[in-house]
Amino acid sequence: MQPASRIMEGADEAPLLSLRAITKTYGAVEALKGVDIDVHAGEVLAICGDNGAGKSSLIRIVSGAQEPTGGTIALRGEPIRLRSPQDALQRGVATIYQDLALAPRLSIAQNVFLGSELTRPVLGLPFARLLDKRRMAEEARGYLQRLAIDVADMTTPVERLSGGQRQAVAIGRALRWDAELIIMDEPTAALGVKETAQVLDLIRRLRAEGRTVILISHNMADVVSVATRVVILKSGRKVTEEPTVGLDADTLAHMVMTGKKP
Amino acid sequence: MKKMLASLALGANFVAAALLPTAAHAFDLVVIGFQMSSETHARVANAASAAAKQKGWNVSVLNSEGSLPKHAEQLDTLVQRKPDAILIAMGKPVEAEAQLKSAKDAGIPVLTVMAGTSAHTLFDIQVNEYKVGAEAALYLLGQMNYQGNILTQRFDGNVGTRIRGKVLDAVLSENTGVKVAGTHTMARTQSWRDDVRNGMQALLLKNQGQVQGIWASFDGQAYVIDDMLKAQGVKKGEIPLVSIDGGVDTYRRIADPESTLTATVAIPFEEMGKQAVEALDTIVVKKQPKDSVTAGPYLFLDAVLVDSRNVKQFMGN
Amino acid sequence: MRHFLSTYGTALAGLAIVIFFAVATPAFATPGNLSIILKETSFLAILALGFALALMTAELDLSIAEVASLAAVITGALVHAGQPVWIAVAAGLGAGLLCGVANGLAVTSLRVPSLIATLGTAAVAKGLAFMITQGVAFVGRWPTGFTGLARGSLLGVPNLVWWLVGVAATIFVFVNWTRAGSHLVATGEAEEAARLAGIRTARMKRLGLGLSGLLAGGTAVLLAASVSSAAPNMAGDHFLYAIAAVLLGMTMFTPGKPNVIGTLVAAFTLKALGNGLILLGAAYYVQDIVLGLIIVGSVALSAAAMRRAAFVKKLSFRT
Repeated sequence: MQPASRIMEGADEAPLLSLRAITKTYGAVEALKGVDIDVHAGEVLAICGDNGAGKSSLIRIVSGAQEPTGGTIALRGEPIRLRSPQDALQRGVATIYQDLALAPRLSIAQNVFLGSELTRPVLGLPFARLLDKRRMAEEARGYLQRLAIDVADMTTPVERLSGGQRQAVAIGRALRWDAELIIMDEPTAALGVKETAQVLDLIRRLRAEGRTVILISHNMADVVSVATRVVILKSGRKVTEEPTVGLDADTLAHMVMTGKKP
Repeated sequence: MKKMLASLALGANFVAAALLPTAAHAFDLVVIGFQMSSETHARVANAASAAAKQKGWNVSVLNSEGSLPKHAEQLDTLVQRKPDAILIAMGKPVEAEAQLKSAKDAGIPVLTVMAGTSAHTLFDIQVNEYKVGAEAALYLLGQMNYQGNILTQRFDGNVGTRIRGKVLDAVLSENTGVKVAGTHTMARTQSWRDDVRNGMQALLLKNQGQVQGIWASFDGQAYVIDDMLKAQGVKKGEIPLVSIDGGVDTYRRIADPESTLTATVAIPFEEMGKQAVEALDTIVVKKQPKDSVTAGPYLFLDAVLVDSRNVKQFMGN
Repeated sequence: MRHFLSTYGTALAGLAIVIFFAVATPAFATPGNLSIILKETSFLAILALGFALALMTAELDLSIAEVASLAAVITGALVHAGQPVWIAVAAGLGAGLLCGVANGLAVTSLRVPSLIATLGTAAVAKGLAFMITQGVAFVGRWPTGFTGLARGSLLGVPNLVWWLVGVAATIFVFVNWTRAGSHLVATGEAEEAARLAGIRTARMKRLGLGLSGLLAGGTAVLLAASVSSAAPNMAGDHFLYAIAAVLLGMTMFTPGKPNVIGTLVAAFTLKALGNGLILLGAAYYVQDIVLGLIIVGSVALSAAAMRRAAFVKKLSFRT
């Protein structure tokens, strides 16, 4: 498989993530009917499609939340299985879920380090380790600053932050894992104009840092604004794959609806 | 700040006055009912409280809710409050020994009703449960001419009812013409009425037509059985139903020709409450020696067998 | 100011109650009486902290009182039978832990809602307690090695208070300063987010419910040692008080969240209230009525805190 995909790409370097013939069925329902997608390092790939096109299934598979029914996944040319979100995280694939990313009443630092808290030894005892709250706060601040987000107090509960700041906290967690591939599920849904601009700016910063982003979005203006390439799914199949250069939101919307360029 | 404290004190006194029934300096009696949800405990406590109020005493009633830790906590707290006397209805002097001792050390006289004796209390007002149990058992057997099968409804979670059951066993062991066809032991304390109904229903079905008498360890159980027998069309006297405790509802049932309840041994709960207050009045207020009330650790009151012949006398009060 | 009131309001109300009793009745603020309140607080607070740990993982443990009663009966039976104290204590703690783990497994593996699972465990524990005792309490002159666990004192401070301080401090550090503790809290705060972040949320729920059972066992051992007897319903009346302590605790310090310090302050307040009412000579039912009002009131207050949070959330977009 691997050499074949290399030949197909016609490049020396394997794609960062390569999905081949991915299928997913839930009982009698076929959510994905054999999807091939390559994600190249450094790009912002948008995945679009109407409801039921298979976007969510695809995300769950790439994030490790579910395993595909069939097909293969390769990361940097190496075939892998993603058994759990942690498995994916450890391989540098972080997913920011639309609604489930954060614990609203926990602090910024707690959210950035959720599940991977930093500890320090106490009294030099080998097994006694307590949370290193100061270091977590410092590092969390560092991640947010890299995203050009300035919040004074890292102990602020996330529920008191604006929508854009929350996305930054969620991305901060991905940075804490030093994730190479960051998957963002509808990051601008329900955000106002200013907040949306802030989130799009976050995505550009990630790209500038050399990270790869998969963006799932219904907002065609956002997609043409930040994505470098777009894949359109329809009824569980990939129908189009295009660079976004020269595309406008209306054309893209037409493509999502019909599967064809106007 | 001083002003605030003063007004706080004023408010506190006001609330305290609202909570306390009478003014200070009256004789201060605390009555503890071990489990006020049990009718007999409440009857003793309420009668004592009423008698004490008649004397112009200051009474407060506490409920240990059947919980020993709570009982101990209340006694500990009362030692701090230092009332003039404590009256405990159906307490557990063995378990609460440490608390009773500290009450004695603090100079607070403690009197108990149907609780058992303790070196740290004045004495215990009792009916002789062994006598009561024998009275009920022999009455039931007499109604059956010492022949036939009985069903027994027991409760072992309480000393008194347990003794009654043991005495019944002793009586039965000497009178072998009467057999126990079935026994149900009440296990639950909250929904015990359901427990009794289910248990007895099953025993009655199993032994249909072969039961000549029913024994219940306390009247509350007998009420449940009585209602069940009535619903099955059993007439008074067909299956004698005998139990122990007494009380307004019991007397009403014994007098009622529709009811199947035949007899009870009436324990004078109200009288015990009153006598307890009288005893405290004599010993603590009037400073008479304890021996002028009773010599031993017990003050025994008489329990009376009540059936259709004498029930009228009891219905008046 | 509003933030201050919402954070410390009910704690101040508790302080006001204490001051009120101190002024209203001279017997209240004596060292002897305060020591009684502290001792009584220890039983309640240790039991309530267990409930709080389960609640931190968003599970209800309604079995604490019956589990404590069962553990007390088991401990009592062994002490009564002349077994070494440490065996009796270990058996009591073990019984509590076992019930808690059973709750945890029922909730996580069998997917029974904790409300139902723990009610079931409560019924089983109650039945077992009656089975062991046949309704009769274990009473006796127990070895001082056992009763001393609750009755003795060290450096002039009652042992019960030491136990309380030790248990509460351990739980405080665990919850606020360890990874496992923060995973426990995260599980209750946002289960799905925690799971996606790699936290083993099912394990955390088992831990929370298991600890709740263990602390019920600990409470039972101390209760049995304190009154040197063990009866099948002995912890029953602690149930509502423990829940009230946790709920009231949720109205202070970190409003809307079960927390250690709040639970301690609330437990002390409740016990001071009960004590003060007895000293004032209030009728027994007053205490029940006040308790009921506190439960409803504190839930209303913490619900208000949660609604405020939800309101803020709505104002500033979705997560």
